[in-house]
Amino acid sequence: MSTRWLSTLLLIVGAGFMLVAPGSAQSPGTLKIGVIEPLSGPVAASGNYVRMGAEIARDWINARGGVEGRKIDLLIEDNKSDPKEAASAAEKLIVRDKVPAIMGAWGSSMTLAAMPKLEEYGVPMVVETSSAASITKRGNPWIFRISPPSEMEALGLEQYVDKLGVKKADFLAVNTDWGRGSIQAFGDMLKKKGVQVGAAEFMEQAATDMNAQLTKIKQTGGDTLFLTTAVEQITLVLKQGQEQRLQRKVVTTGGSSSPTQLIKQAGPAAEGSYHIVFFMPWFPEAMPDAKLAKAFVDEWAKRGHPFEGLTEGFRGHDGIATIAEAVKLAGKDDPKAIRDALWRVNFTGVNGPVKFEKDGPAGKESGQSKPSIFIVQIRDAKVVLPEFMAKR
Amino acid sequence: MIVLARAALAVALVTVPLWLPSSYHLHVLIMAGIFVILASSLNLLLGYTGLLSLGHAAFFGIGAYTSALLALKLDWSFWLALPAAAILAGLAGWAIGRLALKLRGAYFVLVTISFAGVISLISTNWMDLTNGPLGLPGVPAPELGPWSLRTKTAYYYLVLAAAAVAYLVCARLVRSRIGRAFLALRENEPLAESVGVDSTHYLVLATVVSAAMAGVAGSLYAHYTRFISPEVFLFSYTVTMVIMVVAGGKGTLAGPVVGAVLFTILPEALREATSWQWQMLAYGVLLVLLVFFLPRGIVPGLQRLRARRAP
Amino acid sequence: MEQILQHLINGLVLGGTYALLGIGLTLIFGLMNVVNFAHGEFYTLGAYTAFAALALAGAGFFVAIAGAIVVGAVLGALCERLLLRPLRGESIDTTMLVMIGVWIAMQNAELLGWGGVAKTIPHPFPTAPFTVGPLSVAPLRVFVFVSALALIAAAHLLIQRTRLGCAMRATFQDRDTAALMGVRIDRIHTATFAFGSALAAAAGALLGPVFLVYPSMGDLASLKAFSVVILGGLGNLAGATLGGLVLGVAEELGAGYVSSGYRDAVGFVIIILVLLFRPSGLFARAERIG
Repeated sequence: MSTRWLSTLLLIVGAGFMLVAPGSAQSPGTLKIGVIEPLSGPVAASGNYVRMGAEIARDWINARGGVEGRKIDLLIEDNKSDPKEAASAAEKLIVRDKVPAIMGAWGSSMTLAAMPKLEEYGVPMVVETSSAASITKRGNPWIFRISPPSEMEALGLEQYVDKLGVKKADFLAVNTDWGRGSIQAFGDMLKKKGVQVGAAEFMEQAATDMNAQLTKIKQTGGDTLFLTTAVEQITLVLKQGQEQRLQRKVVTTGGSSSPTQLIKQAGPAAEGSYHIVFFMPWFPEAMPDAKLAKAFVDEWAKRGHPFEGLTEGFRGHDGIATIAEAVKLAGKDDPKAIRDALWRVNFTGVNGPVKFEKDGPAGKESGQSKPSIFIVQIRDAKVVLPEFMAKR
Repeated sequence: MIVLARAALAVALVTVPLWLPSSYHLHVLIMAGIFVILASSLNLLLGYTGLLSLGHAAFFGIGAYTSALLALKLDWSFWLALPAAAILAGLAGWAIGRLALKLRGAYFVLVTISFAGVISLISTNWMDLTNGPLGLPGVPAPELGPWSLRTKTAYYYLVLAAAAVAYLVCARLVRSRIGRAFLALRENEPLAESVGVDSTHYLVLATVVSAAMAGVAGSLYAHYTRFISPEVFLFSYTVTMVIMVVAGGKGTLAGPVVGAVLFTILPEALREATSWQWQMLAYGVLLVLLVFFLPRGIVPGLQRLRARRAP
Repeated sequence: MEQILQHLINGLVLGGTYALLGIGLTLIFGLMNVVNFAHGEFYTLGAYTAFAALALAGAGFFVAIAGAIVVGAVLGALCERLLLRPLRGESIDTTMLVMIGVWIAMQNAELLGWGGVAKTIPHPFPTAPFTVGPLSVAPLRVFVFVSALALIAAAHLLIQRTRLGCAMRATFQDRDTAALMGVRIDRIHTATFAFGSALAAAAGALLGPVFLVYPSMGDLASLKAFSVVILGGLGNLAGATLGGLVLGVAEELGAGYVSSGYRDAVGFVIIILVLLFRPSGLFARAERIG
């Protein structure tokens, strides 16, 4: 009986010692920025691409002398695709490592889980990927998002709906906040333009067989399929659609479609499909800051990172660049000063201009930037601009 | 000696906010406390009645969602939402208990997994009720009269109290006639039945209490993190609970406590110790090593050590 | 009408893959009583081995599959010898826990080694589907289905008709008597685990080209495998086969006619209903083995 109590005591104390060790060394010369991404688990690829982009930004800024002479030190944490871990990671970064700003956390649930910590301790976070509308509408003044919520994406596509010739659309989306939000936003936008909406089907995040959904979609007589999920599932849907002889236009949304990877993995099944992306590494000259885009693509290749990752990696770069810019404007690495400075940020990243507008309830607005949105097509196993965009 | 050790432990626990270096550590302890309750509840089933339930995350999630929804949509106070969460989770436990009456071993396991799977899918798809994958942000913190229990210190005491109560409930249960019935059923069910132990009655009782306790843990979790999403139903939560119970020492009272604390601290300690590439790999390897050297669990292993030392 | 038929075809092909996952696990879980959470990881290992052989070493398709089987067997044997044999006297929970550790370690090792980006495995079959009227099915899937049945038949033959199989059955029916009769118990345990893992690896190598290869692909596979095994009756190869087909068709029809979001729920509900009415599984017979 007593052994159990003793062992309990011993173990707790012992394990506790592991934690009581001091946190990251406080070197006054460095600027610490926290990064929370899913580096393991099912979306590890995407999380790692963002990390790689962040590292490029860090190295570029440090090569130019750092921020006000201080080198950036990225403290990278894995949220394991679990909101609980995202919250713990945020807590550790803020309390132990005393980072004045964070970038993260990729998935919307992860970001939402970390948000209460930001308010609790007063530390700003730049959201680089999450698309849920609620993130900027919750009245959290420490959130600044550079990725587009689904509504903004849908608006970005609005001008092309007629040119694409969409009369009746079906939806197939991953069953997460991202997929559902996308169906909602694009559905509303299409209905406003008088387009009929047919079926709205879902697939679980880990699902590999979508034949049932595709069989159903085949029956609706629609002409366009809007697909929102990550590149692996898009590959599977395209291949299985081909097997079922599903003949219609495919438009992928969400920016995680990595068209280059699709060409490699889905082959002819990807022919003719359209993709909404937020970065066009195939023609960097068409990006708002062509020189920066080209430099990013080149540096990425130089480091041996896979080309497919560029369509997500740029987010990491722009997120870190945004924070660095804010620290420069603030003149110090105090979280509140950085937060205030974020409102004054106005520069051009790889995606395009970054400038935050107010979003959410009055008095507690979050910042939302208006990122550039592009649409590309896969033709002849290459990524090209759609014909209707040829003359711009 | 025993009394001194116990007193020291009690004093240490109660004064934690005074000597812990930072609120991050407090955060880890709060999570550990919640998992102590969870692991203890699983231990009732796994350790004492011998029923392996791999769907325990379902009760955790039901408790979390019930509490959050009642607080968010109906403005219920936390002090009412928590018991409601326990009751609903307990009801779910009762359903499982009765459903799985005829099943033992692997079949029971599969029913529990399937049940958890169905509940998880409902939470993801029933948008009107649960907001699906978008989750429920803004779950209010508990309030005690004029004070909000939002601060970590306050919440720590809340969780500490809850964990202590959970432990006591398990202890009383296990040492009572009911507990002996559990053990009898675990060791040899037909024999137990032959001497008049009603297996149905006791197994259902075990699942109800176990589920209700998990529901309490869920409610505490929801009001601490103040955001829940269907990820609470992730199988990985159940796996973590199983690790805590079995590695800590199933069938003992201190086992799940030790397991919960250790395996909450371990991933965080790994965050400190290694870079992100190696964390989960190290976790897996450490787990294998631990099982290898202490196959019955930590607490029984230490007990054996002591038994061997003392003549 | 044609929609139902298409769903049925989809379901059968899907079910064939579930069956393939199940037969390996039914030996390990059903016979050896090890809750092998790492079963999905051997599946993943088979897929990565096939990828390495095909895409990196330029080997032929069938060589790659054979290679995957060998790797699965060897690693399975190692696993049993190093981790399970020393723990043989322990409770089922202990072996379950060690396999959980192996699961976490293997998956994250794969993540570390191969990275998280999904890989495609090239295959020699044409991509144009076979069509009969409005119904279509891809040649690759037909191949996988046929191979799965062939592997199942081979496994059945091995268990029923060879000395090794006989020894396996004896060991798991009555260990002490088998030992007295001269059966090398240790070797049989290793062989059984290796065999089950090899089957999982084969499933991975076959399904890799159909889907994609990524580190967490084994998680869902494990879950389906357990469902199939229990549905079919522990240790029952034919049961696992039929159980897999039933599960595949049920899921497909559920997704088609109930709701795609609740697709997996259909499978779960069916499992619960089946077990309520037939607690030993759909096809359990008096004797457990074969």
